[in-house]
Amino acid sequence: MNVLLFGLFVILLGGVLPQAFVRRPGAALRLHTLLLAAGSLCGLVGLFQAWQSGVTQALSIPWLGFSLLLSLDSLAGFFLLPVFLIAPLTALYGYQYLDTTQHSLRPVAGCFFFNLLICAMALVPLAADMIAFVVAWELMSFASFILVLYDWEEPQSRRAAHIYLLFSQSGAFAVFAAFGLLFAATGSFVFSATAFAALPQGVKLAAFVLALLGFGSKAGLMPLHIWLPHAHPAAPSHVSALMSGVMIKLGVYGILRMYFLLGDHSPIFAWIILVLGIVSGILGVAYALAKHDIKRFLAYHSIENIGIILIGCGLGMLGLATDEPIMAVLGFTGGLLHVLNHAIYKSLLFFCAGAVHRATATRTIDILGGLMRRMPITGRSFLTGSAAISGLPPLNGFVSEFLIYYAAFLGLRQDGFNLMLVVAAIIALAMIGGLATACFTKATGIVFLGEPRSAQASKATEAPPAMRATMLILSVLCLCIGFFPGPFIQAAFAALRDLGPMASSLSLLPGDLLTKISRNLTLIAWLFAALFLGLSALRRRAYRNKSVERGPTWGCGFTQGNSRIQYTGSSYAMSTVNFFRPLVLSRSQCTGLAQKLLPASAEYSSKAEDLAEVGLQHLLSRPVLWLAQKLRWIQHGRIQSYIAYIVLTIIVVLLLA
Amino acid sequence: MVLIETFFSLVLLISALLLVPLFPGLILKVKAFFTGKKGPPLLIKYYTLIKLVQKGSVYSTSSTFVFSLGPLISCTAALMALLFFPFAWLRPLFSFQGDIIVLLYFFGLGRFFTIVAALDTASPFEGMGAAREAFFAFLAEATLFAVLILFFRINGALSLGGYFAGQGLLSFDGSRGALLVLVVVGLFMVMLAENARVPVDDPATHLELTMIHEAMILDHSGPDLALIEFGAFCKLFFYAAFVASLLKPAHMILNPLLAILLFYGLVVLVYAAIGVVESVTARLKMPLVPKYLLSSFALVFFAIILTSLEFIP
Repeated sequence: MNVLLFGLFVILLGGVLPQAFVRRPGAALRLHTLLLAAGSLCGLVGLFQAWQSGVTQALSIPWLGFSLLLSLDSLAGFFLLPVFLIAPLTALYGYQYLDTTQHSLRPVAGCFFFNLLICAMALVPLAADMIAFVVAWELMSFASFILVLYDWEEPQSRRAAHIYLLFSQSGAFAVFAAFGLLFAATGSFVFSATAFAALPQGVKLAAFVLALLGFGSKAGLMPLHIWLPHAHPAAPSHVSALMSGVMIKLGVYGILRMYFLLGDHSPIFAWIILVLGIVSGILGVAYALAKHDIKRFLAYHSIENIGIILIGCGLGMLGLATDEPIMAVLGFTGGLLHVLNHAIYKSLLFFCAGAVHRATATRTIDILGGLMRRMPITGRSFLTGSAAISGLPPLNGFVSEFLIYYAAFLGLRQDGFNLMLVVAAIIALAMIGGLATACFTKATGIVFLGEPRSAQASKATEAPPAMRATMLILSVLCLCIGFFPGPFIQAAFAALRDLGPMASSLSLLPGDLLTKISRNLTLIAWLFAALFLGLSALRRRAYRNKSVERGPTWGCGFTQGNSRIQYTGSSYAMSTVNFFRPLVLSRSQCTGLAQKLLPASAEYSSKAEDLAEVGLQHLLSRPVLWLAQKLRWIQHGRIQSYIAYIVLTIIVVLLLA
Repeated sequence: MVLIETFFSLVLLISALLLVPLFPGLILKVKAFFTGKKGPPLLIKYYTLIKLVQKGSVYSTSSTFVFSLGPLISCTAALMALLFFPFAWLRPLFSFQGDIIVLLYFFGLGRFFTIVAALDTASPFEGMGAAREAFFAFLAEATLFAVLILFFRINGALSLGGYFAGQGLLSFDGSRGALLVLVVVGLFMVMLAENARVPVDDPATHLELTMIHEAMILDHSGPDLALIEFGAFCKLFFYAAFVASLLKPAHMILNPLLAILLFYGLVVLVYAAIGVVESVTARLKMPLVPKYLLSSFALVFFAIILTSLEFIP
């Protein structure tokens, strides 16, 4: 724990010290990256030590009359892993991604908030009482808010940051309410499973639902996800990678921590989580398919993956509720491993998207194309990440999805409502897999393959070396988990070690079940690799001494084609998106066609609106604005009346108290 | 003993791989019979493969390495599926609980790379085929996983070996056999969709606008096309053998030789059924395909609901 805290101190130092080099942003960013890497290394070493010692380490820091409790147990340790793994890579990427020529102050100031965000993200899982948790949680929201506002001159960024602030603060409000409820019932700020266990079930359920509202909005759970597709495109790509890959997972951490602290295993918790997971998963991917902006597209995929993670966790909860220890363990292990996997490939994909944006100055999928030739490393990395996020073997995404499937199939022994939910979960996972393939073939195929659809795309050049290196490292990690799943499954499994309710399940688990599963997954990965290499060798042999020519694409007799006749992302996705009507409100407009005898210039546009966003506008924003309009007379600008308001309020409060 | 069994499984696998191109020729023969023609020779697909392997290739100037990755990966994925298949209800070469999920995802991997290879050519026809493939695939996947759910409810297995080899098999006269009628129909429908057959796709037409799979591989030629074709034969064989394996009565104990004969007899029957369907139906309009796939899903889902009723035998 001390090593870990020292690491955090170094990371914080890495945010503060570069401020001294404002005039030399290059040096400042180098110092920032180095210190962050060193701090993260310390953090990883600390995690490893804690994992080896096998005991929960705790620490108490007095602050303003409270004592802030920190403790490092197995679940916290697992959620710290992506923080320390992804953070240095994002900094290294940012070192060459950020434009230091125009604004020298901004990247350097960004360093501070970047490292503050990382420290806060590390403190959230460490916090073991409500005060410490709230401080860390709010620091995290604040630092990420500032980072979303990085390009503050652009109205879109300001709007995105505003929406993000609204959501994170109303989410925090719900979390505080949950904590308040628990404090009122137990009289202590400490997260203590023993104290919470005695609470009546109604209080537990209320606290859980409130916490779910708060944590769910941070995690991007439908329908509380609205900030995500706004904030991710607005933030610089390495910040999006950090937020989407790591930060939103802390919402999942909050939900899981709350669940295990409350120690109530009624099926109702599992039902809530499963239903929300299924809805987020399917709608997330359906909305993603309809999006034209590559970063917004990726943001919706985060929502989808949070859905998959929650399906895993929900199955685990259902396993606990119905005394199916194997199902419980596999569900939670799969969900947790998916947290790590998603952190890896989502940051990878955001890195690639950032490289594309940097090279072409656009994020619109439909005007890109042909980048695989111009940006070979970025293209190959994006292809790897795409296959991984679609959950395809032999890459990492499949490993966690397989565990979740396994848990779900064990759940088929249930009856009644439980059975229906489990069936829905399996069908949902299958459909999400198919739709994710549709989405990422669209992203890879339209952005990186074919011919460039615009001048920007044809002039693109490859990203600088540091950015390429981070993408390569993450791609290798994706392959690595796919081909050697054993240790990673064990790591996710070990995260359950210190969770009280799991202990009895763990002891009931057949000892070699997980080893068997990892061995089988390793077998299929290597079998596939062997067959693939064998076939490639045969193919190469078949092509020996053959004439291999290059010519134009077969146009079925049409020879005057240009790059504009290619399928675009919108046309590729259209029929699938329309299938999801009315859940995805897709609208298309067409003007100028067939009005005269000869074709004139025509215009076509399509967009898909988010049902939750539209619903929120109609049901919440408009009534609130209407009410505010009616109450405008309170705000008249006369200071003496305002003072009267304050005095009146105080009197009322005193009378009530 | 184990070594002998493994060797036997390997022999079965290799003989199946050698036989695989024969069956599509059979479909052509059935179709020729219905139209009153003589039809191409039964070995036509072998001749096609040999011809393709001997040729060179023309690559589009638009395409990259992804284009040649498509045939390789889709063929590898299809071969993977056959490695796990229990031919003639005998022990498969590899088997573990959950292998069927892995195999369906490998088909997904093959599809992923076929689609990106199609998009790599910058051809609008191939883009169109790719879009349709991606759309219909996720609906077909829902049916397939519904089938797995049903099988798990019936005999607790989650592997091909568990379904068809060893004890407590799935069968009409086994436990809850009546439900398998629904599955066979549903699976047959999905098989036609997943393998680019009528009424979803038409392997015979050369009007590019109406096709799915054939449109995606317009630009492939030579050995690459041979890989795609062979992969497609393997995939079709996998589905046909899957359906055929469900048709054996559970209590019929056979010696291996008779079992092999019965297995290939049933497989021929399934292929002949495909040929009959192709002869008597027309291709569906594209907007009807999702409804077709959802009907297959509804059939299997109905069977799942029936498993929770006690009185179904």
